[in-house]
Amino acid sequence: MPSDNVLLRTLRHEKTDTLPWVPFAGVHAGKLIGKSAKEVLTDEEALFDSLMAVNKLYKPHGQPVMFDLQIEAEILGCELMWPDDSPPCVKTHPLGETATVPCECTLPTEKDGRIPMVLRAMRRMKEAVGDTTLLYGLICGPFTLAGHLRGNDLFMDMYDDEEYVEELLAYCTACCNRMAQLYIDAGMDVIAVVDPLVSQISSAHFETFLSKPFTEIFEHIRKLGAFSSFFVCGDASRSIDVMCKTNPDSISVDENIDLPAAKKITDRYNIAIGGNIPLTSVMLHGTQQDNMKYVLDLIDRLDDTRNFIVAPGCDMPYAVPVENGIAVAQAVLQPESVREMLRNYIAAEDSITVNLPDYDKLSKPLVEVFTLDSDTCAACTYMMGAAKVAKAHFGDAIDMTEYKYTQKENIIRCKAMGVKNLPSIYINGKLAFSSIIPSKDEFYKAIEAVQ
Amino acid sequence: MDLQEISLKLQAGKAKDVKILVQQAIDEGMSAQTILEEGLLSGMSIIGEKFKNNEIFVPEVLVAARAMNMGAALLKPLLVEAGVKASGKVCIGTVKGDLHDIGKNLVKMMMEGKGLEVIDIGTDVAPETFVQTAIDEGCQVICCSALLTTTMGVMADVIKAMEDAGIRDKVKIMVGGAPVTDAYCQKIGADAYTPDAASAADKAVAFCA
Repeated sequence: MPSDNVLLRTLRHEKTDTLPWVPFAGVHAGKLIGKSAKEVLTDEEALFDSLMAVNKLYKPHGQPVMFDLQIEAEILGCELMWPDDSPPCVKTHPLGETATVPCECTLPTEKDGRIPMVLRAMRRMKEAVGDTTLLYGLICGPFTLAGHLRGNDLFMDMYDDEEYVEELLAYCTACCNRMAQLYIDAGMDVIAVVDPLVSQISSAHFETFLSKPFTEIFEHIRKLGAFSSFFVCGDASRSIDVMCKTNPDSISVDENIDLPAAKKITDRYNIAIGGNIPLTSVMLHGTQQDNMKYVLDLIDRLDDTRNFIVAPGCDMPYAVPVENGIAVAQAVLQPESVREMLRNYIAAEDSITVNLPDYDKLSKPLVEVFTLDSDTCAACTYMMGAAKVAKAHFGDAIDMTEYKYTQKENIIRCKAMGVKNLPSIYINGKLAFSSIIPSKDEFYKAIEAVQ
Repeated sequence: MDLQEISLKLQAGKAKDVKILVQQAIDEGMSAQTILEEGLLSGMSIIGEKFKNNEIFVPEVLVAARAMNMGAALLKPLLVEAGVKASGKVCIGTVKGDLHDIGKNLVKMMMEGKGLEVIDIGTDVAPETFVQTAIDEGCQVICCSALLTTTMGVMADVIKAMEDAGIRDKVKIMVGGAPVTDAYCQKIGADAYTPDAASAADKAVAFCA
């Protein structure tokens, strides 16, 4: 575990000067290195490389190693359907026809299904970034796992056969405890128990069926020396209080929940809370400015930022533009500078005019690097670094300049040129690279093409 | 007998009681249509409102719908005999690539609770299947559900398939699911987006009127 990390201090409920940031980049990690969702969820090299790209570009304080709630279900007999750009879905439910409880001898072991691959990736990540980044092991929560095994009849069972539901949940709880043990042994610092179905039931049903399993799981994780997080999706506002009573170290919610209101409840229990950045309307379809603004507005709406973790509402969609992830990171890591950028962005229409070069009459190739700020934004630093390498290689044969978004005139220049994403590189006035850092060869070829 | 009793038992999810009470009402000579509307559909309408207002949740809706179906099964032959028709016909499914059907099932139940005939095409439904079902069954509305950001794009394909088949101006299309918004509905040119199952049922009834 890192010796000093703002997320670590937040999970210990200490006051921090800056806020922790945890990008839930599961399948989205694959996009950063051009791999499909299935590749990162099944191939150790693709998974490790993509996670390293997340760590490099988004500079997280914590990150999940594998975001797939179907790992346990697959081992326990559910057939999966595999899309290219999202996690697999459960297609069949082994207990759908018969209300039975599997033998504990069927609980997953370190040799089953994709677990060996996941454990290897976890150990490699621990070795590679474990001294700076808290690593999350995600397990499928007991209620959602029971739903995977039994299908939608589980909801009817809550009325028809309470005893059966309790027995099935006890089995799923044992599965959660087993998975937590495996992941903690592989170096995970935080175990996130992800249970989206929780939002589909009343708080009374939660107390009847789920209070005991979740309390047991979080207690188990604590005994094993790790932190815990309770992930829920959907509008679970009514259940935040009963979720807190199961005593997790933190809770993560999606955009359906009013986070400042929920935080008033979690604060009463001294539990950290995070999440809430809208996955579709902001992260997937919004601009960089939308993402920065959402994060800063959210922070501003909180009475107290202690016990707060900046994070997306849930697993980031595969196709989230990389620059939006970078924008969120920058808003968390450099909030004051980003506030200034947003102020200037809004005010940029008026005063200053910029003269763009006459790109058709350049005497030599012109490389223009547009960054949020290459001194503080990791992705921008790498993008600028690539440009500097090219400049060193080509010397006086090319011109190269950086425009930082922190300066008002550069915001106007971006608008004038139609620059939509930062960081990006334009060569002779045309977009050459956006967000993803080009390799040396790619960069050289792009310059040679206009020489 | 007091049909309010049927409504209350339905709301409590007491399927066996509903069945007994519906049979009793039939035996007392009440018309099937009256029992349906003032007992079953009235109860299901209250369930829909409570679900919309976050007063009850998925399990409560499922057991209420099961109770409604138990009662409706007794009424069905009598309604056919009396020549009573459904207030409209729709088909519903989750789009290609999406297996998440809890929302779709809830919408279906709410629509049946409003007296609509619902053809459930199931999950992972191809655009062409939506269209062919609407044509074969004479549906007035196609309802598409998606839970994933990656599958909601298929809804636009369904609209394209409707255009290709020449039914776009005859059949309405409704869209819904967690990532879907009204802005997205307008962007792809669908006829309606509703944020919850009860509103979806109301909208479908309006389209079928």
